[in-house]
Amino acid sequence: MVISKKVEFSASHICRSPQLSDEENERAYGAASNPLGHGHNYVVEVAIEGEPDPVTGMILDLKHLKDILEARVLSIYDHRLLNREVQAFESIVPTVENIAIDIWNRLETRIDPTGRAKLHSVRVHETSELWVEYRGSK
Amino acid sequence: MTVHLGRRYTFCASHRLHSPALSEAENKALYGKCNNPFGHGHNYEVEVTVRGQVDPVTGRAVDLAALDSLVETQILAPFRFRNLNEEVPAFRSEVPTTENLASEVLRRLQSAWTAEFGAVARLEKVRIWETDRNICEIDI
Repeated sequence: MVISKKVEFSASHICRSPQLSDEENERAYGAASNPLGHGHNYVVEVAIEGEPDPVTGMILDLKHLKDILEARVLSIYDHRLLNREVQAFESIVPTVENIAIDIWNRLETRIDPTGRAKLHSVRVHETSELWVEYRGSK
Repeated sequence: MTVHLGRRYTFCASHRLHSPALSEAENKALYGKCNNPFGHGHNYEVEVTVRGQVDPVTGRAVDLAALDSLVETQILAPFRFRNLNEEVPAFRSEVPTTENLASEVLRRLQSAWTAEFGAVARLEKVRIWETDRNICEIDI
């Protein structure tokens, strides 16, 4: 069984790779390569897989999930320039692909220390027209 | 690392649901208002899901400009502001239901996919909204 929770954050980013020329960056990212940055209202759907606890009827306490999302993702990502203020993006470009992977990495081991509930997927909507989902390295 | 990427597009078109294999009365009973001889239209939404590896340099799983261009050429330009029954060859012989429209979108994408993306980015799913409440998807 899979349960999911949706949260939002707003952040700016610059899609440019230091390994590419100006022309290659423009080609790869289009308008998103603006060196001065731009931003989005991101929507993150986190899905948790497991069986409901026979006593509580819940796969995971959603208050616990909300607290983890706040501590591990929102307090770090919200109203930030991702390139400068989120550690993962010091060396990689904060595309929506890499954002989904970083959020997975931030959450995977924290979801449920007992291992009963597991992270199933992280889907990040950059706009209403573009999303990326990561389901781990399996 | 493998990710799944969804990209959503929109187009407006008209159609009429009417099967030549059925009688007038059967068509009317089956398709109801959608059988109106003058046709009607929808704001369609199409979501294309791609599975790919994230390029370590660009951080991208698929070239979005190339994907947009392929969808524009194969789907949006031929369908946008068209009468699907009259102006899309597939619907001269098939009824343009959401199911058949999804199949046609998939056929058109697959016909051009390998030439554009090779095996790097795989087409994984097509989902079409005829309205907010009427959705058809095909998993590949």
